Amino acid sequence: MKTLCIAVAALGAVMAMPASAYQPSRPVEAVVHTGPGGGSDLLARAVATMLEKERLLPVRMQVVNKTGGGGAVAAAYLAEKARDQNTIGFFTGVWLTGPLTSAEAKVTLRDLTPIARLVLEPALIAVKADAPYKTLADFIAAAKERPGQLKQSGGSATSRDNVVRQLLQKATGARWAYISFPGGGERIAALLGGHVNMMVIEPAEAGEHIRAGNMRVLAQVSDRRLSGFPNVPTLKEAGFDVPAVPQVRGVVAPPGIPAENVAYWEDVFRRLTRTESWRRFLADNQFEDGYQNAAELAKFYDQFTDRMRTILQEAGVKTVR
Amino acid sequence: MRWRSPDFWSGLALAALGGYIVVAARGWDYLTPDGPGPGFFPTWFGVAILGLSLALVFTSGKGHLADWRGAGRAFAMWAAFAASLALIKAAGFAVGFAALTYFVVAVMYRRPALVALATAVAIVGAFYLVFPLALGVALP
Amino acid sequence: MDIAAGLMNGFAVALAPANLLWCFVGVLLGTVVGIMPGLGPPATIAMLLPLTALMNPAGAIIMLAGIYYGAKYGGSTTSILLNVPGESASVVTCIDGYQLARKGRAGAALGIAAIASFVAGTFGVLALMLVAPPLARLALAFSSPEYFALMALGLAMVVLLAGRSLVKALLAMLVGLWFAGIGTDVFTSTSRFTFGRMELLSGIDFVVVAIGVFAIGEVLANMEAREEPQALPVPKGLRNLLPTMQDMRDCRFAFANGSIIGFLIGVLPGGGSTIASFISYGVEKAFSRRREQFGTGVIEGVAAPEGANNSETGGALVPLLTLGIPGSSTTAILLAALVLWGFKPGPLFISENPSMFWGLVASMYIGNVMLLVLNLPLVPLFAQVLRAPVFVLYPVIIGLSLVGVYSVSSSLFDLGLLAGFGLLGYVMRKLDYPSAPLILGLVLGGAMERALRQSLMMSEGSLTILVARPISAAMLACAALILLIPFFARLNTWRLRAMEEENK
Repeated sequence: MKTLCIAVAALGAVMAMPASAYQPSRPVEAVVHTGPGGGSDLLARAVATMLEKERLLPVRMQVVNKTGGGGAVAAAYLAEKARDQNTIGFFTGVWLTGPLTSAEAKVTLRDLTPIARLVLEPALIAVKADAPYKTLADFIAAAKERPGQLKQSGGSATSRDNVVRQLLQKATGARWAYISFPGGGERIAALLGGHVNMMVIEPAEAGEHIRAGNMRVLAQVSDRRLSGFPNVPTLKEAGFDVPAVPQVRGVVAPPGIPAENVAYWEDVFRRLTRTESWRRFLADNQFEDGYQNAAELAKFYDQFTDRMRTILQEAGVKTVR
Repeated sequence: MRWRSPDFWSGLALAALGGYIVVAARGWDYLTPDGPGPGFFPTWFGVAILGLSLALVFTSGKGHLADWRGAGRAFAMWAAFAASLALIKAAGFAVGFAALTYFVVAVMYRRPALVALATAVAIVGAFYLVFPLALGVALP
Repeated sequence: MDIAAGLMNGFAVALAPANLLWCFVGVLLGTVVGIMPGLGPPATIAMLLPLTALMNPAGAIIMLAGIYYGAKYGGSTTSILLNVPGESASVVTCIDGYQLARKGRAGAALGIAAIASFVAGTFGVLALMLVAPPLARLALAFSSPEYFALMALGLAMVVLLAGRSLVKALLAMLVGLWFAGIGTDVFTSTSRFTFGRMELLSGIDFVVVAIGVFAIGEVLANMEAREEPQALPVPKGLRNLLPTMQDMRDCRFAFANGSIIGFLIGVLPGGGSTIASFISYGVEKAFSRRREQFGTGVIEGVAAPEGANNSETGGALVPLLTLGIPGSSTTAILLAALVLWGFKPGPLFISENPSMFWGLVASMYIGNVMLLVLNLPLVPLFAQVLRAPVFVLYPVIIGLSLVGVYSVSSSLFDLGLLAGFGLLGYVMRKLDYPSAPLILGLVLGGAMERALRQSLMMSEGSLTILVARPISAAMLACAALILLIPFFARLNTWRLRAMEEENK
């Protein structure tokens, strides 16, 4: 009886809520942590264009670049804008790993309001075309024979490239060196010039080199085979029981905004991911759809950072949180 | 070495910097199994700074009488600049920069207040016209 | 497709009226962007990207490329007139350019900058056209050990930039190395010298230091005098408004030097126009008959770096167009643009899209001519800027600095840093520390450390990798030689003095 009363009361309360919920009335600021032309910046601009084209947002979306600190400055900027209803931010994996290794990066994703996860970026494991490795197993076997002598080029120690390496090393017992290059162009040049043996590369970057016959792909770092690479086995298919570590991108909002705003943004982005333009965008950039709503994103964040912390510590990188 | 010569003092300051760098570098790995660590380079250039600055201190020649009046003006200008930055943060570019311009014209160059005001307004106006309007560059 | 046919095809594309228009728009915009300190081609190109989706791709790439190399022409303007580097690559131009302006030869400096940019820019395009694919393959042989040697060579240039006190120059350079070390170490993700501030996590932006030390430092130094009737002598008479025939003759070597060095360094992925201009300046000084005068306003000191930073654009397009590898932030955005329009930049790009490639090449020839025609007549006009009374000029310089720095990072913290570096610049000036080595250390320090550690990782700890490879060994030998020059010079003086003593 009591339950019924509560249920009716709750129902009544819900029905009494105003029909039109939150809607942005001023242009929305979309904060990104890269400069103009960087990955996040291009994604944000593409999203803004798509939202306008599909008429999913009643106002304009303006991209604001807050560079610095590998995402820390942008995250702190969002944290400062608490309760501001016209700001959102586009985050990537560095927003998640930054606070783990840098004491100065004080704002974690949990301090902000998660909205949605949008894309997963898969990757490929590539070697130079004239290398003696035809499969990933070949490479691992070679690495086992000469521990520490094969080399991989990649980004910083906390980047996904190194994480893949750590996971593979742990799963197979092989060991090979990792050389960091800050720029994607330098990494590719190092591989093509024969200075390193292997690299983890994004499909968009690799496409042309593969077509020209300069690179060979050994495996894909993703859960399902990408449409552009139907003949390349995924890590699991190649026999390595290693999680396909994704590079994630998604949306967050400043802390302290009302629940109905969160619901509104969630809804906007959910509808965006169902449109044709989005599908085309994913296909053009060879991204995977990784949509998760706010609650799922929060859970993903916890799992991801826990796993990342363990991996980094095993890799010998000092973690501070 | 001569006391109170500028080289002497700057050499000391740099020696202090070098010392600081070396000490800070000891907090990081000098060598890691993969290669030189984050402490490698800083240690070396810290030592170099320390060594060279001490050499400077010991070979510093005679000091010259500093132009204190001139230096004073320059420092005053710098203080005004720093203050205008605080003003910009608090009240926006227009106010802060206008204040700075006024200071330069009126105080530094002793022009009449009206000229200073006019210049300040004109320059700020020009900046607003050129940058946000014509070029779309944000002002602080 | 052979070169002559390709070029014919290319000119056909480039001379189409629409594309000519886009070329003009691009170079004009580029010049304006280059003049503004801080605002650079990457930001401008990124902002125009959405617009280009509506244009035809050939016209779009012609325009964007025009912005890219046009900015290099404009960058020298504020460097020479106001000692404010308009672009990171224009810092070296400040050294002699501003001194020339102080001597009343601003017009000559501006003019020579434009001419050198034209000569080198055209050379860059020529080289791009003729040797792109084979050179790209060669560039791949260049890796971390060679980069380290190149940086070492660059730093050895400090000796040539030293001026009166070698010790002070070295100290300035080391402090520059320290500034470069501030930030996050890329190999281990350790924060270094960040004093707990997250804004320092990605290091100090070069633009902030350069504008602070050069521009603000200069303004502060000039504030010392109570009254100055005019900031800088305005060039009078045609002789000083444009470079003279004598100037052109003096710069013969500089033109060649800038063109070749700029292009070669541009080809290397990761080599930048700043490094190119420094090395070109150093080489010019090393081989010049009047090397002691460098730094006081020598015309070749403007021609060499300006040429270098222009031919570097031609060079940077080589890895982009032949391999699809972007070597700098600007070329990375151009790459993104090409992808946006549905092209696939990579090894097959030229053979599959010949009209795009040749059209671009042809448009660069045209663009360089346009820029020369645009810039030269403007030189006397720009020189009139110096007529402005001091109390107007200095606030404008400060304002430009503020806007320039803010446009790079939108950060008030950086403005605070600007103030700090301004003070540093002033103090350095008073205490007679040269500022060029500071900038050199800052620019090269980070890259040099990375290259060394990468090399040691490649060789698993053995330093011999640096001398085992021919290219890096050769460059290290040059660097060692340069470092030994003052030593030998002093030995020589001692020897001469000893001989004098004996003869007495």
